[in-house]
Amino acid sequence: MAKTSGTVDAVKEYLTDLVVPHHRCNVNIIPDHITMLHGTKSKKQLSRKRRAHKSNTLTRKQYAELGLNTLPRKQLRYEQMLPLHKLWRGYIREHLELEEGDEVPQLHEKRYDEFSKQLVKMDFHGAKLRVLQSKCQTLVGLNGICVMDTKNVLKLLGEDHVVRTVPKSECVFGLNVGNMEFTIFGQHLTMRPAERSVKKIKNYVEPFM
Amino acid sequence: MSQNNNSNNNKCKRKILTQRHACSRMNFLYQAANLMAHSNNNTLAAYYGKLCRNVGTKTLMHMSPALKRTLCKRCSLPLLPGVNTTLQVDKKPEEETSLDVEKEKTPIKRSRRRKAKSKPVEAASIDQQTKLHLECSLCQAKRRFQLNTNNECWVESPAAIVQTITVSKQSAEERPEL
Repeated sequence: MAKTSGTVDAVKEYLTDLVVPHHRCNVNIIPDHITMLHGTKSKKQLSRKRRAHKSNTLTRKQYAELGLNTLPRKQLRYEQMLPLHKLWRGYIREHLELEEGDEVPQLHEKRYDEFSKQLVKMDFHGAKLRVLQSKCQTLVGLNGICVMDTKNVLKLLGEDHVVRTVPKSECVFGLNVGNMEFTIFGQHLTMRPAERSVKKIKNYVEPFM
Repeated sequence: MSQNNNSNNNKCKRKILTQRHACSRMNFLYQAANLMAHSNNNTLAAYYGKLCRNVGTKTLMHMSPALKRTLCKRCSLPLLPGVNTTLQVDKKPEEETSLDVEKEKTPIKRSRRRKAKSKPVEAASIDQQTKLHLECSLCQAKRRFQLNTNNECWVESPAAIVQTITVSKQSAEERPEL
C-alpha cells in the first residue's frame, strides 16, 4: 500500500472532485478501502510463460526462408542421383514383394487389388519416370529421376541436369521396374506424399482423357 | 522377412503386415536422407528426413530413438559429425579452451559410437563435466551432449528391449546400417 500512496492521493482527489462543492468537506476516504487493480500482468510473469512455450521447431515461414521448399534448377547433377535410383530399386522390390522374373498380376488374379493398392502407396523419390501423355504437349516425352514430390507437382531431374516441374493431375506417367512396365495416372497421385501411405484408396477409379 | 513373419503367431503377423509398407518406406527415406547428406546435398537431405518423420507421424509409427536422434530436431537434416557437421567442445569452462583440437572426440558418446573415428584419446584433458555440442549446418540448431555416461536412456537399457522385440524385430531394426 505504501508504494501506491501517490496513486491513492490521486484517487482521493478525483473522487472529491466529483462531489458537489459544498459537501466536499464531509468526504472522508479511508485509504485502506482503496484497492488498486492491476491492468496487465507483470513483465516477469509474461516472460516466464513465453519461455515455457518457446518451441524448438521451425515454422513454415522459417522453413521456406531456409530454402527447403525449393530446389536449384541447374545445380543438381544427374550422376549424383543415380545412387538414389539404385536405392529406390531395392525399395520397390521390397515394397511390392517382387522376386526375379515376377509378372504383373492379371486382372482376374486374386492379388491384383492388393498389388495395385500398394502401387499407389509407393514412394516416388528416386524413380525414373517419363511422361507418356499430357494435356500439355510440351510435357510429353520428358523423363528423369523424381527428386521431389509435393501435392500437385513432381520435380524431375533430367539427364541434362535440369530440374523440371511437372504437374501431376494433367499427366500420365510411365515407369519401369525390372521387366515390368507401369502406367500411372497422375490424377490419382494428387495427395501429399506423407498422407499417401495412410489414405484409403478406392477400388475402382476412372481413368481420364 | 517373410520367414520371420510366419514364425510368429497369427495375430502378431497381421499387426506387423499392416505397418510393413510404411516401415519400408520410412527405411527407404531415412537411407535416402543419409545418402543425400553424404553427397553434400543438404536441402534434399532435410526434405527426405522431414518426410520420413511425417510418414511416421501419419502412420503412428515410432523411429527407434537412436535413429531419431541422428536427425536434426529442427530441420530433420541427418547430422553426421565429420561429414556435414563437426562435434565441438563447449567453450564455457574457461580453463579448457584449448580443447577445440579434439573435435572427433566421439567414442565416449553412446549414440555416435559407430560414426566416430578411432583417435588416441587424451583422457587427461577431458573430464565428466565437459560438454560437447553439435551445430546443424542448415538451421544452426544446437544439440548438447554431456560426456557423463551415467545417464542411461530407458529405451536403450536392456530391460526395455524385452518389450520392443516382439513388435519391431523384423523391419524396424533393419534401418541402422547404411
